[in-house]
Amino acid sequence: MARGRGIPHTDVLVTLMGSPHGSDLFTSVLRLVEEMLRQDAAVQVWACGYATMLTQEGLGESKPRNLANWSGDYPSTLTVIRGLLAAHPGRLHWYGCRFCSDERGAVAHIPEVRLRAPSAFAENVAAADKTLFVGVL
Amino acid sequence: MNRHLLIETQGPWAGRECASFVRDATTLAGGGHRTRLLLLQEGVLGAVPGVLPELEGYLAADGELLVDRYSVAQRGLKKEQLVPEARLVDMDEIAGSVLDPVVKVVWH
Repeated sequence: MARGRGIPHTDVLVTLMGSPHGSDLFTSVLRLVEEMLRQDAAVQVWACGYATMLTQEGLGESKPRNLANWSGDYPSTLTVIRGLLAAHPGRLHWYGCRFCSDERGAVAHIPEVRLRAPSAFAENVAAADKTLFVGVL
Repeated sequence: MNRHLLIETQGPWAGRECASFVRDATTLAGGGHRTRLLLLQEGVLGAVPGVLPELEGYLAADGELLVDRYSVAQRGLKKEQLVPEARLVDMDEIAGSVLDPVVKVVWH
């Protein structure tokens, strides 16, 4: 199969759809991605729909203060994803769907996220040995 | 022969799709395909006896039933409260199965 142009080859492409806080979905995906990386796999994530909100600069580094634990610090999704990317250079790639981002006004992603048009999605699929669709748009 | 990993995350109270998904798994297992059904997130509630009757047919078809240990603990459940055929697994085994080239994965 021809590989995607300019898209690094990965073992798995996780297409992450669905809203970040509607369920444990994002937690499950993080657990899965982290473990696949621990097993030396190369992974790419394509965030679609409301999953494009996960990497917005406006989230800041931490979540809003927890009234039940005022001094506790809880990393935002942006911080978690940025940490994963920094810990696995060249083996984890995070893409965002430009259409879904624009539609939601989610236009200020962290620079580590590469926005791509939905028409380019097939190239990401071609660059992966396996594609896993997770969640509902 | 194909191998399949079916991941159910919605659970029996989110609608009819969970039961349909298990019936799909039963069809695969009954067709001689090595099939593993993983219950994850709300899906683990289906492993409580009597909650998801479709599991009986799946297990009778020699399907393997995996249940995410983290999701079970998060919901205050214990292994003893699940059907005896359920095997608790951690994410390392799940990730290994996803990475296995011969395994086809479906996430619901």
